[in-house]
Amino acid sequence: MSIKFSSQIPTDREVVLGILNNSVEALNKLYLAYFPMVLQFVLNNSGDEDDAKDVYQEAIIVLYNKVRSGNFELSSKLKTYIYSVGRRIWLKKLTQQSKKANNIADFEDVLAVDDELEMHEEKDMQFDKMKVALDNLGEPCKTIIQDFYIHNHSMQEICEKFGYTNTDNAKTQKYKCLQRLKKLFFQS
Amino acid sequence: MRNEIELEAIIEDYLKGKLTAEERIAFEQLRSNDPVIDHKVVAHKVFLDSMAQYAHVVKLKEQMDAVHSQIDVAALAENLRPHPSKWVKLWRNNRSAVAIAASFILLAMVSLYSIQSNNKQAGTFEAMSKDMAKIRSTQNTLIRDIKTREANNSSNNNSNNARFGGTGFAISGNGYIVTNYHVVRGADSVYVQNSNGSYKAKSFYSDPVNDIAILKISDKRFESLPALPYTMKRGSSGIGESVFTLGFPKDDIVLGDGYVSSRNGINGDTLAYQVAIPVNPGNSGGPLLDNSGNVVGIINGKENKTDGATFAVKSKYIMEALNAIPQDSLSRKVSYGKKSSLRGLKRNKQVQKMQDYVFMIKVYNNN
Repeated sequence: MSIKFSSQIPTDREVVLGILNNSVEALNKLYLAYFPMVLQFVLNNSGDEDDAKDVYQEAIIVLYNKVRSGNFELSSKLKTYIYSVGRRIWLKKLTQQSKKANNIADFEDVLAVDDELEMHEEKDMQFDKMKVALDNLGEPCKTIIQDFYIHNHSMQEICEKFGYTNTDNAKTQKYKCLQRLKKLFFQS
Repeated sequence: MRNEIELEAIIEDYLKGKLTAEERIAFEQLRSNDPVIDHKVVAHKVFLDSMAQYAHVVKLKEQMDAVHSQIDVAALAENLRPHPSKWVKLWRNNRSAVAIAASFILLAMVSLYSIQSNNKQAGTFEAMSKDMAKIRSTQNTLIRDIKTREANNSSNNNSNNARFGGTGFAISGNGYIVTNYHVVRGADSVYVQNSNGSYKAKSFYSDPVNDIAILKISDKRFESLPALPYTMKRGSSGIGESVFTLGFPKDDIVLGDGYVSSRNGINGDTLAYQVAIPVNPGNSGGPLLDNSGNVVGIINGKENKTDGATFAVKSKYIMEALNAIPQDSLSRKVSYGKKSSLRGLKRNKQVQKMQDYVFMIKVYNNN
């Protein structure tokens, strides 16, 4: 029905297995496959390319969380799922921007995805809280924490990278950073 | 401070499952006894979960950004952007509905058409063939190809390379004969023959537009003819007027009888009449006369798809051709507007009287 996408569309099963196995290749395929669909929707409903990118990435994050939480059942086509989630996210954003969202131009079937979105909003809030906390943390704490918790660097590596004389000093520094971060995180 | 750091590290290791079995049991013991430590563990777990989720999303976004950079977003957007035209938008949004509607319309049209054509097939066919005839009909010039026949019948010594035959008629007593231009076109030599004999003739005047040619008998054996029995008709003939023609579709003179069926010739050609007389190759150039013995035209062709549609050049154009001949070279020439001596005679008498003035034209091509 909609415009044919040039890239190969992976099977739904392939995608779900890829998500469960953290396959970068599966993510790439998935991303390329359905981006035009979401782009089309956003562009035709008073959004631009950047809006489309944000909406699409959020929709994929929702899919990832759903699949990883283990209770994902393929009751519909993945395409429909992504479209519905993306649509819902964009319409919500439109309302937040107090833009009118009547006469929605739809290009695909739509599923009811309210539960997913509620869960996602909660997680998104957590994400934003963490992001704000990290941004407020300042350097070098932010980088130390990110290196340790996100990039899984060892204390030894962090010690070398930042030029601490020994790992104990690095650990002490990390501890202080962590305390401040926790404070920021829980207080906000 | 030192202890705090140690505790934090232990809590973290505990939550990550890095402690040994004994350490874990000892730590759980400690945790259950100390609510402050328990609280720290819970808080840290929440924090770690959030951090893990955060890390996960950040990584996912990084990966997606990497993929995103491969997409030519601008080009894609150009294709998918809402089109300024309302119709294109409508089409894009309702592609499937439009497609279904279109196929229904198509189906309906096809079935309607097939029903209609089943019911009216005969009528349509007739109309079609008429159209076809109109398009295809061409004037068949009525020159007789006598080559094959003359080859069998070699009584005539000049016949070996005779190509075409037609008819002509005298327009003066001293050997001027009018025929169709197409009969003598490209001829190397022309012979004319009547009941008295065969004479050599040469082309004297030709008018390709009106399809008229005038021949002059150059043979010394030719003796002048008595006064012409027929005259030229000055006016034009109306539809329904009885006409007849004499011609040589075969080696003997043949009478054709009919009436003027249309004032104009093929495709509205105003130079000619359409007459209902069956003619055959060889009739070209024959005189067309009315009952009073006035020449109204020269037979020059027929429509090859329609029976009985013969064409004749109007007498008016014969007169135009005659005017091109120096008047003093014509003796006892055909008169027009006068009373013909054939008037009031029966058809058999008319034919008898004029058959010496109608010639078979034989055209030879050396090449």
